Amino acid sequence: MIKSPICEMLKIDYPIFQGGMAWIADGRLAAAVSNGGGLGIISAMNAGGDYLKRQIEIARSLTDRPFGVNIMLMSPHVDEVAEIVAEERVPVVTTGAGSPIKYMERWLEAGITVIPVVASVAMAKRAERSGAAAVIAEGEESGGHIGELTTMALVPQVCDAVNIPVIAAGGIADGRGVAACFMLGAVGVQLGTRFLLAKECPVHPNYKEMVLKATDISTVVTGRRFGGHTCRSIKNDFTRNFLKEEYAPDATPEKIEELGVGALRLAALEGDKKNGCFLAGQIAGLVNKEQPAAEIIREIFEEAEALLKGASLWVK
Amino acid sequence: MVLEKVRELIAEKINCEPGSITEETKFADLGIDSLDVTELVMSIEDEFNIELEINESMVTVADLIKAVESKTAKG
Repeated sequence: MIKSPICEMLKIDYPIFQGGMAWIADGRLAAAVSNGGGLGIISAMNAGGDYLKRQIEIARSLTDRPFGVNIMLMSPHVDEVAEIVAEERVPVVTTGAGSPIKYMERWLEAGITVIPVVASVAMAKRAERSGAAAVIAEGEESGGHIGELTTMALVPQVCDAVNIPVIAAGGIADGRGVAACFMLGAVGVQLGTRFLLAKECPVHPNYKEMVLKATDISTVVTGRRFGGHTCRSIKNDFTRNFLKEEYAPDATPEKIEELGVGALRLAALEGDKKNGCFLAGQIAGLVNKEQPAAEIIREIFEEAEALLKGASLWVK
Repeated sequence: MVLEKVRELIAEKINCEPGSITEETKFADLGIDSLDVTELVMSIEDEFNIELEINESMVTVADLIKAVESKTAKG
């Protein structure tokens, strides 16, 4: 068994989180991952409070184990959903796309374990200072909203900078990735792309097919030119058009932001291969079958355990 | 005084001449993104021994200076 301080802190069997993927990570997926011994996470995304309440209710009806909610700090409903997680006493909150400092006091008072996603050492230090129990250091291999550093460079530097547990994310889809991240100093991992192919994942079948078909070079980053909404997704007509517009001479940040509106929903709910934005990580090429979430977790940790046990092979 | 120090810290961080930075300079024009701003604010906090909030309205050097001054004035 691989046990780390994060298992004890969150009362989970395996030190693995399922990423809070917008339009995808609902109460059902979160419950399946939590029932498998990991930490399932519901994405509050850009939706209002009613959606989140419903998903929390669904998760609670399917599992007695702890789960989390991911709060996207750029959401127009952020104040409302931030209050709901406190009222509902959700065990764990992860945050993305910004600094959660504004909500920290309320969440800590509600007994929530707060674990922000960070993309740099300075962000990690600020999170620790404001009362975060741990941080998720997410490299740019990830799908969705990303920073610039790779997991390989980011994780050890964050581990050196803070005295709270570090969970690694970005570019991990199997036991090799998990073992490597533990060697970098992480005590847990967060995976998104692999869980897109969980049987319990409600995403449109076309989305699953896009990930299954993806190779190592299938993803591309949009939004780098003006920053703010830098995103990794699978190359398709949507990304090609986006990049053409983004680098056009008359492009403006406002015009570019407009381009992405609604595209996540089109991909996740309608499976629109042409106009949808299919967020996925660079590791998508390694994800090649659909399995129950619990089986994914077991398989990953059996492999990681074997690798970590055999690591002395190289020490002569 | 605050301007000078802030300029110096920015210049040191991005390897440019402090003289090329004015209060009106936008971070975006210096190629400073939100991650850079976070790091910059951390070094400013250490320098002035204060704690600052980072938000999206921090666009220009003047915005940052205003934030610093509001904290140092109180202290």
